[in-house]
This record gives sequence, C-alpha cells and structure tokens, in this order.
Amino acid sequence: MTATLLTSGLVLSVAEEVFAALVDGEEGKLTPWIGAPVPFAEPVVAWVDLAGEWSGRAVLLTERSTADDLARALLRLDPSEALGDEDLVDAFGEIANVVGGNIKSIVATNGDLGLPQVSTTIQDVSGTVIEEVLLSWRGRLMIVRVLHLP
Amino acid sequence: MRVLIADDSRVMRQIVIRTLRQAGYDWWEITEAEDGAAALGVVRSDPPDLVLSDWNMPEMTGIELLRAINAEGHDVPLGFVTSEGSPEMRAMADQEGALFLIAKPFTAESFRDAIEPVLA
Repeated sequence: MTATLLTSGLVLSVAEEVFAALVDGEEGKLTPWIGAPVPFAEPVVAWVDLAGEWSGRAVLLTERSTADDLARALLRLDPSEALGDEDLVDAFGEIANVVGGNIKSIVATNGDLGLPQVSTTIQDVSGTVIEEVLLSWRGRLMIVRVLHLP
Repeated sequence: MRVLIADDSRVMRQIVIRTLRQAGYDWWEITEAEDGAAALGVVRSDPPDLVLSDWNMPEMTGIELLRAINAEGHDVPLGFVTSEGSPEMRAMADQEGALFLIAKPFTAESFRDAIEPVLA
C-alpha cells in the first residue's frame, strides 16, 4: 500500500486501537471530533519521521492539559499524583511513536522509523498534509496529522 | 525466570511490565535497560533468561543488540516488543533468531499468545 491509499478511516482505526490498548484499556474513549476545531491555548506536539521508500511524518497535536491527562492515563496515575515534564514528554512521544509505527506499516513496506520528538512549538514543516483527523479523547481535541515530506 | 526489558522509554518499560503482570507473568524477576547498548552490558555481565527488546532505540537498536548477542555467543533468547511490525522487520527478526515480534499496541492476550509457545 502507498500513502495515497491512506484514508482518514485507517488513521482513525490506528488511533482507536492504540488508545484502547495502551491508554484507556477499553474502546470508545477516542471518537471522531464533531464540529469545528477549538484553537489550542498551550499546544503540545509529538511526531515521528518515516524515512525510506516513502518519507513522511506522523504528528500528534493537542492541548498541554490533555497531554498531561493522557500521560496520567498511560501511567495509571491518579489526578492527585504529580507528573513530571520528563514523563509527559516520554508518554506523549510514545503515543506518537506507536501511532506512527502503525501508520508506517500501512504506507511503506520498508524504511526506518525515527525516534519520537516532542515540542511545545508547532514546527513549520515543508511537507504536504495527506491526512488530518480530528479526534475527541474524553471530550477534548486531539489531532493526528500525516505529512509527506520532500 | 529473569527477564531483561530494553526500551528507551521509561513509560513504555512500565507499560510492558504492567502488561506482563496482567498476562500472568507476575512471578518474573524484571530488570530494565534504557537502550540496546545497556542491555548488551547486562547480557555480558549477568545473562538473563529472556530479553524483551524494543527495536528503535538510541545507541544500539534492538536488531543490533540481537546480532551482538549472537556474534558474542551468548545463549540468551530475545523477543521484540516494537511499535511497528512490518513483514520486512519480522523477516529480519526471524533471520537473526528472535523468538517473536509483538507489535505495539499490545494487550495481555497478545503477550500470552507470543510468550506461551516459547515457554512450553
């Protein structure tokens, strides 16, 4: 399969499977976002690059507070327990890593997956967005974006 | 059963340990390594009964770790737990003698399905 056959439905399926297995322990917490996206006040972005026969980037974008809760869910922490920046970066990066790895298995049969990167600055990348899926995780916006890089 | 988990993500190591417990392997004695190079150091100094390794890691990848274990003649089996499971990677893992390749996201059931046959 090539990137041109990547659909929003496939991206949604990948994200649903990742969140159900690793984050929530059950299905149904991640659903398509209904309506216009709300702007992020304090965005956090995580991505992995795919290099090889098809070069691209899988990006996960959300509000900082949502990424915090995502990391807590991944680590099974109570809301009262402290979450360090290192854990936030590690957890949010790993979600992007697993989503990206599964997208790579759809768009390319070979090539390398990079290590996950996390930033509070949305990068201005000279790529082409081939899919963007708006998701609602526990009612809060999360965006999965797949870019083709030159 | 002494098991070494190699993954550059501390969070993912915790999730792997949690899932192993859910899968019924709570009796395993777990040690951790933060990349392939650190895992190779453990294999050299205090060989475990099994290594569960990520594929993409800084310093030394999982497949490089497996090749080094083979090249140095350590009798330590290794299974991959990795964020992608392409046919190319599975073929490479098989060629180097990996026990299995579990693709993330995993569940306790997928752990049991991969691990039970090799424990038998």
